[in-house]
Amino acid sequence: MFQYSFMQNAFLISIFISILCPCIGIFLVLRRYSMIGDTLSHASLAGVTLGLLFGQSPVLGAFVFTSLCGALIEFLRGYFKKYTDLILAIVLSLSVGTAITLISSGRLHANADSFLFGSILTVTRLDMLMVLLLSAVSILLLVFLYHPMLYIAYDEEAARIAGVKVKLINYLFSILVASAISVSVRIVGVLVLSSMIALPVATALQLEKGFRLTLIFSIAFSIVDIMLGLFLSYYLNVAPGGFTALVSVAVLVLVLLGKKARAGLAARRVE
Amino acid sequence: MIQAENVYFSYTGSPPYVLHDLNLDVRDGAYVSVVGENGSGKSTLMRLILRFLTPTSGAVRTRAKRIGYVPQKNDFSNSGFPITVYEALDSYRKLLKIKDRSVVTERLRQVGMADFSGALMGNLSGGQSQKILIARALMGEPDLLILDEPSAGVDVASQKEIYGFLKALNREKQITILSVEHNLDAAIANSTSIYHLVGGRGHLCSPRQYADEYLKAK
Repeated sequence: MFQYSFMQNAFLISIFISILCPCIGIFLVLRRYSMIGDTLSHASLAGVTLGLLFGQSPVLGAFVFTSLCGALIEFLRGYFKKYTDLILAIVLSLSVGTAITLISSGRLHANADSFLFGSILTVTRLDMLMVLLLSAVSILLLVFLYHPMLYIAYDEEAARIAGVKVKLINYLFSILVASAISVSVRIVGVLVLSSMIALPVATALQLEKGFRLTLIFSIAFSIVDIMLGLFLSYYLNVAPGGFTALVSVAVLVLVLLGKKARAGLAARRVE
Repeated sequence: MIQAENVYFSYTGSPPYVLHDLNLDVRDGAYVSVVGENGSGKSTLMRLILRFLTPTSGAVRTRAKRIGYVPQKNDFSNSGFPITVYEALDSYRKLLKIKDRSVVTERLRQVGMADFSGALMGNLSGGQSQKILIARALMGEPDLLILDEPSAGVDVASQKEIYGFLKALNREKQITILSVEHNLDAAIANSTSIYHLVGGRGHLCSPRQYADEYLKAK
């Protein structure tokens, strides 16, 4: 399958996605913000349609619009302190409304459907460049902000007392989430993107390790999920995004069963 | 170390006020326990000193170069977070830009938790977590230590250890301590003075005076 250039492109992008998504996902899951991934992946569809409308790169369109929506979520947090789920409903309405209006207008210069389900055939050279650039910048920023972000997720008040600029880092993090989503949307698709952000982390959390090891296991599960999803979807001739989501659920179930079996064995040994 | 002058505070910015014309002067090296009924404004006062809140009117000032903060264990419910004791302290060391790594093990030894560095924070008992939170607060060698109910959710033996340790920090290292307390016996036994809040108004008294007032009221 690697004789095809589109498969080589898909493989390269998938490696970046499988590292980037859990790196962002672990902070989202631990801050109980998993659904932000879902909201922003819908925002990325609106960004894709805007990119197509103006004849620009859809990945760039997704990145700009999703970043703005991420910043909007952070801004609205000050107004809806007790109803944070409402913020997601507001941003979701704005995003889905924009996407549906633009798609139904018939003015787009290309078809946006491939972004809904994910496609490996439609990855262009410009998309590739955008993905590599955004991934590299995001991973560098994550390395640089690792400790402040860990502490904001773990104990925000302690982070503030230590002098961390919580608000600024929250805005930067919104841009990181937007970047990870824009990078992934081409291959994985809008509809199952949030699963790539949350599921490898959910699986790694079952191992009950410290933060660093949980992050490493999340990346490992993510690589397994995406690579298996990509290979199998190619041979089964189905959309890679949907199948990757199914693989990640299967891996989670396997880990849960393994954990239960191990606990059962330990209990038997005690008896 | 801490001065509060004519402080009024309301969460909405208008009356009714949680704190009314509050004045407080905590001297360097003091151990002050803030006591009062639920809703008397203890936590609000603490949050004003920590600058998590700003007064509606009046001023709160601290001369502390570095503040150490120990949150209330019951409020700090992030027990499912996958983080080891070492990670929690080492990451905090990096936030404080302390280059010497050995500070982490030194602080763990100081609170008697050196053997727990690999344990998950969520697997510790109430007393053990409280000791780790104290070790973290001491990481930057603070001159002011603020604690929110240090004995909440902690067994009696650990309470004794924790208060003994705090008293030693105050007496031997001259660290100023401000502790929001529900444990009145501990407040009377350990503090150099007590700030008694009633309905958002407070007054400073000696532990002996407070004990007399408290016992009389009982």
